This record gives sequence, C-alpha cells and structure tokens, in this order.
Amino acid sequence: MKYDHILIRYGEMTLKSRNRKIFIDALRKRLNRALEGMDVHIKTTRDRAYIVLGDEDAYAVIGKLKLISGILSVSPVVRIEKTEAAMKETALEFTADFDADRTFKIEVKRADKTFPMETHDIQGMIGAHVLGNTDDLTVNVRQPDYKITAEIRREAVYMYYDTIKCLGGLPLGTGGKGLLMLSGGIDSPVAGLDVMKKGVEIEAVHFHSPPYTSPEATEKVKKLIDIMTERTGYDIKLHIVPFTELQTTLYDRIPDNLSMTSTRRVMLKIAERLAGTTGAEAVINGENLGQVASQTLTSMYAINEVTTLPVLRPLLTLEKNDIVNMAKQFGTYETSILPYEDCCTIFKPKSPKTKPSLEKVRKFEERVDFEPLIEKALAGIETYIPNGQDEDEAFEDLL
Amino acid sequence: MHYFDNAATTKPYAEVLHTFNKVNENYYFNTASIHQAGRDSAKLLEASRKQVLQLFSLPNYTCVFTSGATESNNIAIQGTLERKKRFGRTILVSQIEHPSVINIVDHYGGEGFNVEFIRTTGEGRVDVGHLESLLNEDVVLVAVMAVNNIVGSVQPVEEIKDALMNYPKVHFHVDATQAVGKAAIDYRGVDSLSISAHKFHGVKGAGALMLKEGKSSGQIHFGGGHEYDIRSGTVNLPAVAAMAKALRLTLEDMDDDLARIEGYNHSLRSELDGLESIVIQPSDVPHIINLSFTGAKGEVVVNALSEKNVMVSTTSACASKRAASNETLTAMNRSPEVIDGSIRISMSRETETENVEVLISALKEVYEEIGDVLR
Repeated sequence: MKYDHILIRYGEMTLKSRNRKIFIDALRKRLNRALEGMDVHIKTTRDRAYIVLGDEDAYAVIGKLKLISGILSVSPVVRIEKTEAAMKETALEFTADFDADRTFKIEVKRADKTFPMETHDIQGMIGAHVLGNTDDLTVNVRQPDYKITAEIRREAVYMYYDTIKCLGGLPLGTGGKGLLMLSGGIDSPVAGLDVMKKGVEIEAVHFHSPPYTSPEATEKVKKLIDIMTERTGYDIKLHIVPFTELQTTLYDRIPDNLSMTSTRRVMLKIAERLAGTTGAEAVINGENLGQVASQTLTSMYAINEVTTLPVLRPLLTLEKNDIVNMAKQFGTYETSILPYEDCCTIFKPKSPKTKPSLEKVRKFEERVDFEPLIEKALAGIETYIPNGQDEDEAFEDLL
Repeated sequence: MHYFDNAATTKPYAEVLHTFNKVNENYYFNTASIHQAGRDSAKLLEASRKQVLQLFSLPNYTCVFTSGATESNNIAIQGTLERKKRFGRTILVSQIEHPSVINIVDHYGGEGFNVEFIRTTGEGRVDVGHLESLLNEDVVLVAVMAVNNIVGSVQPVEEIKDALMNYPKVHFHVDATQAVGKAAIDYRGVDSLSISAHKFHGVKGAGALMLKEGKSSGQIHFGGGHEYDIRSGTVNLPAVAAMAKALRLTLEDMDDDLARIEGYNHSLRSELDGLESIVIQPSDVPHIINLSFTGAKGEVVVNALSEKNVMVSTTSACASKRAASNETLTAMNRSPEVIDGSIRISMSRETETENVEVLISALKEVYEEIGDVLR
C-alpha cells in the first residue's frame, strides 16, 4: 500500500498552552535532523504534525520517528478519492494486515460537512463492506482490536488504521542541560537516555585512572557515547577526567571501608564544577537504591552532601531486570558488559560501609588537601566529541 | 595472456596490494595484543569491519573475518546445524550450490539430517514455489547462493526471505561469493552471508562471514578467542584491510563496470550466435558466459584456447580437476553433450576490449579446428 503521509501525535506538550510553540519548534528541529536527506516534507500544526512522503517508505520513516522524544504515536495515512467505493476498498485492503479472528471498528470524521452521507451511514457502509468480504472479523465498537479511521476533508479522504506507539516525553532541547556521570556500566547510559526523553540535553563525565584502568575501558565509554548520540541524533560531549592521582591519594589516606564514600564525594565535587562550566543545571547518575554499598540511602546522604546541585537518579527504584531490558532496547547493553576494568573495580574496598558515617568521612577528609588535586584533574580534562572521524581518517589511505 | 577465468579468482587491484604491503609494514602486530601497537592494529581491524558492513548495508550485523568463503560456509552451516539440531533436522539446499556448501550438507545427511534439494528452473534459478512446498516445522537451515558460479544466474534471495517470513526457526544462509560487484542484492534480513576477497580483486586468504544481529554461531573452531570466539587464530589483518579496500573499489565503480562488461557479453553472444553446435546458456550477470561446444569435451576446448594464450575454465576451477559432471547444468536439465562440452568464460573489471576480440577469434579458430567432432 502506498501511503501519502504520516500523522504524528504529540506527547505531553499538548498539556502546554501558551508556550506550546517552543515545544513544537524544538520537535521540528529534531524531525529535520532525523529525516535529513529523505524525500519528505514536514508540516507542524498546533495539535499534530504530518510528514508528507515523497518517494520514501512510510515504515522506514517511522523507524526514525520512533527515536524522537515528544512523539506519542504515529500512523501511516493513505489519501484516496472522495468516493464510497474508494473508502470501502481501502478499508478492505487494510484488513489484509489484520490477524485472524479479531474485532474491528470503523471511525469516520466528517470534517467536510458538504459530503452527501452522514457519519453514521458512512460507518455502516464501510463496516458492512468489510464484514461481507472477510471471514473471521467481527465488529466491536467498544474495545476493537483494530480501528480503521476515515477523515473526510474538503480535498480528499484520509484513511489509516495502524497506530505505532513512540517514545512520548518532550522534544530534546526544551528541558535544559544535565551532566551525566558515565561509568561504562549498564545503568548510567540508560539513566542518561531516560532523562533525555524528557527533553534534557546532556554532556557526560567519565573518570579514568591510567595505568590502573585500561585504554579499552575509556574506548568503551566513547563507544557508549557514540551509540547514545546515534540514537538521539544529538552530539553528546564526553569529558574524560584524569583521576589517577586522586584515586591513589584516597587509597592511601582514607580508611578502606570509607574510601568508596570519599571517592564518590570527590567525583561529585568535580562533576559540580564541570557542570558550572558547561551550563548543566543537574547531575544525572544511574544509581539504583540498594544495588551496591554506595547506593544505599545512607550512602547517598553522605555523598550528596558535597553539592547543592540536584542529583537526578531516574533509575532509583527500578528492578535491575527492567534496567537491563532498557539497555538492550537502547542498544547500549552489549557494549556496557564488555569486561574492562574501570576505576571502581580496581580500587574496590574489601568491605565498604553500607551505612557510612558522614561525620567520620569528614574527619578523615579534613586531613588531606584535595583541592590542588581536584584543580589539576579539572585542568587535565580531555573532551571527546562523538563519531569523530579522525581515527577513520588515519586509515583513509589504507581502506 | 588473455584471462577469462575471473569466477575462479581475480587479479588484486594495485591499490589493494598497496594496502596489503603497507599494513604488513606498519600494522603487522597481533590485533589481540594490549600494547599500543596491538591496539592501533585492532583499530584498523575494526575500521575494516565497519567499512565491510556499511558497504553491504548491514551495519548491525556481526562480521567475522575468515580465510575465505569455504571457511565462512563451513562455520555458518556447521555452527547452525550444531546449534539447531535439537529443534529440527531438515536442511533445504539448492542443487546448484558450491561444493563448500553441498559437501558439508552431504556430511550432515550421513549424520541423521534430512537433506532436501530445491529444484532449479531452466534459467538456473532456484524455484521458490518448490522451496515453499518443502517448508515445514522440521526445517532449520535453508542455503542458497546469491549468484551461481557456473552460469551466472542471480538467485531470488529477496523472494526467499519473504517465503521464510513465517518460519522463524529457519536459518537462511547465503553464499554471496560470486555476487560481489556483479549484482545488487538486498541482503538485509538474511541470517548469514559469506564472501571471499579474491573473487573481487582482493588477495587470497581473506573472507568474511556476516551474521545477523543476535545470531550466534555454534562453535566449530576452538582457540584463543579472536573474532568473537567464532574464528580463533591471529587475524590476517593485511589481507582483511586489503579486502575492505577491494570491496569499496569494486562497489564504487560497479555501475560503470557492469555497463562495459554488458557490452562485451553482447558482442560475444552475437559473434557466436548462429554457429551450429554452439549452445550458450542464459545468464543474469554479464560477467559469466557458459558456452558449450556440443559433441566436444570442455576440457579439450579449454586446452585449445590455453595454447592460444586464452584462459577459460571448464566448470568451477575448485572442482574442475575432478571428472564429476556439472551439477548446475544437470539441475538445469541440459543434455549430457551440452554439459560435457561446456566451458565457462568469466570477465571482470580488468577485462578489456582487446581481450574480448582475441577471445572471439580464438573461439572461432577452435571451432574450425575441432569442427569434425561437433554435433
């Protein structure tokens, strides 16, 4: 079936009234970028948007729309002549895609009031035609498995039946900016993508401690950034902080069972300063309540104390299984489980406290002057821009 | 020398040899070593992998580098059957596959698998209707090549994909060895795909097996864990990078080359058309012409041409030292005289007008010389 356009239903931005235009403009930008180079035309209105299809396959375009936040659902729509025969035939063609023994309903929106038949009669006419020409479909007007919609307008009739659920949320770029703490594990990329769904742009920070952490571990984080960038169509910057000196100092000077808490505190301090220079208004992490010692409520209390920035923890109460499924769906899982040592695994204390005392942590930290080391770490940050072609270019002559 | 045996192997492009030499000089390291030199080599390996997958429009597939298509076919088929034997034991395979597919399948036929051959049409194409009639819940593997090596018929890969849509248990393996640069086929959705570098102007000893995302291959190779643990053994990076380059060059110029070779094919056919006892098989790609001197032995024609410095082949070179008659032509229901008298002429981008002119007059001379035995 050759579809004429795709109908886009907006997500939560329909709840906005006065500033809705800002959200629609942002969505339009994302659509433009996602569909760049395709033979389509984008039309946005206050209530819905349309992608007018040139020579493109509707479902190929929908594949791209499914990754854009701010879209609730989409339907491929066919434009037909304003005749009874065309409506009946199109409805019947739709049913070829239906599973056996299902129910359906016909919905008619008669926007063109000059059309000679009444809404109810048109519904009856199409429904009777479908019933008469199929064996296993029945009508159910309350909870149909399939709903065939015909919109009768001045210029033509538009019909569709397939509604594909999309990401929902808000268009990227309407929710400010956050700084994602990206370790390279399963949780943090999911946390970042989840917050982005609400329109928040992100930059990411990763701590590495060469030679204790391998270059592969850093490469893996870059790869995660590439995957997230490709998925969202938004270039996520990655700031890589040299953490070796701080790590070894913490290891020497803080008792083993509190070192993890202090390490997290120092990382959060660095993230806070970095947020200041990048314009981020929150820190985002993949913490999940009770998952490990640093993620108990008491630990969060002790760690969070170093900053007044909001710390967003979108995965806080999810089941690990659900997080894994999200990671698989986002395409980050396979990369996240690559077995490279990160700083957490190498300097991991034998028995970290699940209930660290803030008072004790402060007492030990007071004996060390971390400030110059923090300054040095911030000065040594290297920033990675995703999908940089520099490496491939090095091989250009060879490949 | 006038070379018309490009379906057996091709001449590496000069640019490809440049890559092969440069990589041997500068990136001879083991891609699994964790030192900087090893990591740089691994980056080149990954860049090669990415390029190969992108050129096939299969960016999310897993690409395993192998020594060539014979090995790729072995890994794909043996791995699949080992993994799937619990779920079913029927294999559907076309009659016209390469020995590196047929012989594995034969072997498994002796191990309790049920092997069914999919019929071939008179044009040398797999009969999809017959394939559909053979499908049932016990089928776990369908193996069909993309382009036939004997007559150059293009197989209905896309139709077969559709036919298998409702059989999720079936693994669809495509041997695309002869297809690269000859036919534009949409491979997206096939479960595994084999290619071999030396068939498209790469160097010998490199090939690839591309596996659909999420498809693991059962292990038939044990070793140090290179190439996703599917094909252990230090990676032949110079040949692999050279393959990635050969693939790019071949596909970039494919349309121009096709048009030119189409012209050669046309002049060959029109020059020989009408000569009594000469039978030319239909072909979908212009590169391959299967031609019979009915009544003569193909081998005699090959030798006679070889004396005139023109290199052609009887059946596929890999098997032509064996006397077995040709499976593809048999499957196409050709007469024994046509099969025995058949030669294969295969062209490539390196073939030039002058070569074709020499070939045509050599064929005509041979036709006169052995005219007495022709029927």
